[in-house]
Amino acid sequence: MRPAPRLLSLPWLFFRINALNELQYRVNFFMQLIQSVLALFTALAVLALVFSHTEELAGWSPPELLAVMGVHIAVGGLIRMAIQPNMLRLIEDVREGTLDYALTKPEDAQLLLSIREFRIWQSIDVLVGALVLATAVRWHGEAVGIGGALGFAAAVVLGAVMIYCFWLALTSGVFWIVRMEFIVELFDGVYQAGRWPVTIYPGLLRVAFTFLVPLAFAVTVPAEALTGRLAWDTLLAAATFAAFLVVATRALFRFALRHYSGASA
Amino acid sequence: MDIRVAGLRKTFRVPEREAGLRAALRSLAHRSYREVHAVDGVSFDIPTGEVVGFLGPNGAGKTTTLKILSGLLHVSGGEATVLGRIPARRERELLSRITLLMGNRNQLQWDIPALDSYEMNRAIYRLDPATFRSTRDELVELLDIGDLVRKPVRNLSLGERMKAEIVGSLLHRPQVLFLDEPTIGLDVTMQKRLRSFVAEYNRRYGATVLLTSHYMADVIALCRRVIVIHHGQILFDGALSALSDTFAAYKTITVTVADPLARFDVYGEVTAVDGSRVSIRVGKQDVSRVAADVLRDHPVTDLTIEEPPVEDVIDQVFTGPVTA
Repeated sequence: MRPAPRLLSLPWLFFRINALNELQYRVNFFMQLIQSVLALFTALAVLALVFSHTEELAGWSPPELLAVMGVHIAVGGLIRMAIQPNMLRLIEDVREGTLDYALTKPEDAQLLLSIREFRIWQSIDVLVGALVLATAVRWHGEAVGIGGALGFAAAVVLGAVMIYCFWLALTSGVFWIVRMEFIVELFDGVYQAGRWPVTIYPGLLRVAFTFLVPLAFAVTVPAEALTGRLAWDTLLAAATFAAFLVVATRALFRFALRHYSGASA
Repeated sequence: MDIRVAGLRKTFRVPEREAGLRAALRSLAHRSYREVHAVDGVSFDIPTGEVVGFLGPNGAGKTTTLKILSGLLHVSGGEATVLGRIPARRERELLSRITLLMGNRNQLQWDIPALDSYEMNRAIYRLDPATFRSTRDELVELLDIGDLVRKPVRNLSLGERMKAEIVGSLLHRPQVLFLDEPTIGLDVTMQKRLRSFVAEYNRRYGATVLLTSHYMADVIALCRRVIVIHHGQILFDGALSALSDTFAAYKTITVTVADPLARFDVYGEVTAVDGSRVSIRVGKQDVSRVAADVLRDHPVTDLTIEEPPVEDVIDQVFTGPVTA
């Protein structure tokens, strides 16, 4: 097992390098800000529309659904900040043959290829999501205890790990298929479904959004933790599933890496 | 022995189809593949501190071999070890002591100064700050790029960028260097500078270098030994000076005579007449006889016999013998 400081120091280093890169493009900050605010108002409008017709949705009250929305925005920002850029870079590197340099470095390939890119301006979405979540919790009225806060933190971490594994498993296909850019649209499309609690979806879809694309664990479960709806066995199931995904996707990635052939001579 | 390669094979399975829409549609349902033997039974050893030129036309298997030796590709057969380890295992102990530099690829971050990218390499290679700084400053001085490393990489010229790349690749003072076309696209002055740098690095650190280049000047300047590969197989492995003996079908006899307009084409192909000097291309087996004939038939004041240029010999190896 790699010592913990290394697991933190290397990502921090890449974060710093990426921050240096992105800070040169101030306009991106304003573009992201406008985009985030527009997305927020659209989401709020949809929520308001739904609750103009009903008092609750499949057992979820307006503040609880607002909490789901907050988590959805924040986790979405997290994915676009740290996970998606790395996977897209991996796809590009395999296609262009520029993965060579990363693989000749004396570092765990999966770790290195998962931390190289960081989009700092996407943190705006994380902040917006956090604000929406704070508003929802306040509106909900019930105080969030230590247990709820810890449950929320654990659920977010586990959810992020599962989404990362999902992306890595999909992206590993690039070693065979090469053209994989479509997975961004594929994921974004499916991720939109996470705007609503997965419990409102019918049977098969619910299973798919739990185990196929782990939206339930990434969005619904953290929101449940903050609104007093979380059953602890759900968290245990999340931890077990996350551990399984980590092991399985690592094995898949290592197997896929053996098929790297470089773009050309 | 730093590099050992025995019976190395690498086979790629590549899809292929005929041209046209019908073939494209057919390949959707039934795709056919062809096996390409990029490296086909290659064997060689390179001892510590040797600089070896790895020559061959495009697609000969040079880069594939280099990629296997630097741990990027898994072998299809045979064995390869570098510093006693199997590269494909990507062990930290090995990767910390080798480097792969490709002239047509960048590894430095585009938008920030090279110094920041070097800092990243320091962390990845776990170099202690003092050693890192002294190596970095030494390399920066050797390549004379003091101020350039503070500019964003995107603002550097191709040659400047290449020098900055080289510093980044050598910060960990690798023992084995795999250089794949390091001077490609550079102007003549910059090529010379890089050559003398590689020679100096080899001298200073006793590093082993395996170099591919299409510029024979690189090879002549740096390598006493060359390995010639073609269609994935080794055609020649030996001293650069012995390459001509093995492959050259002709030599050039140059004579200085009072009457350069006399008929010399009876001895062979006259390739140049420069004042009183006449150059005649003669089949290797006829050199002694022709030299004696010329000396007998003409009042010669000087006579030299030269091997053909290495470029011509290499070209001959890949394309078949040239006319004597």
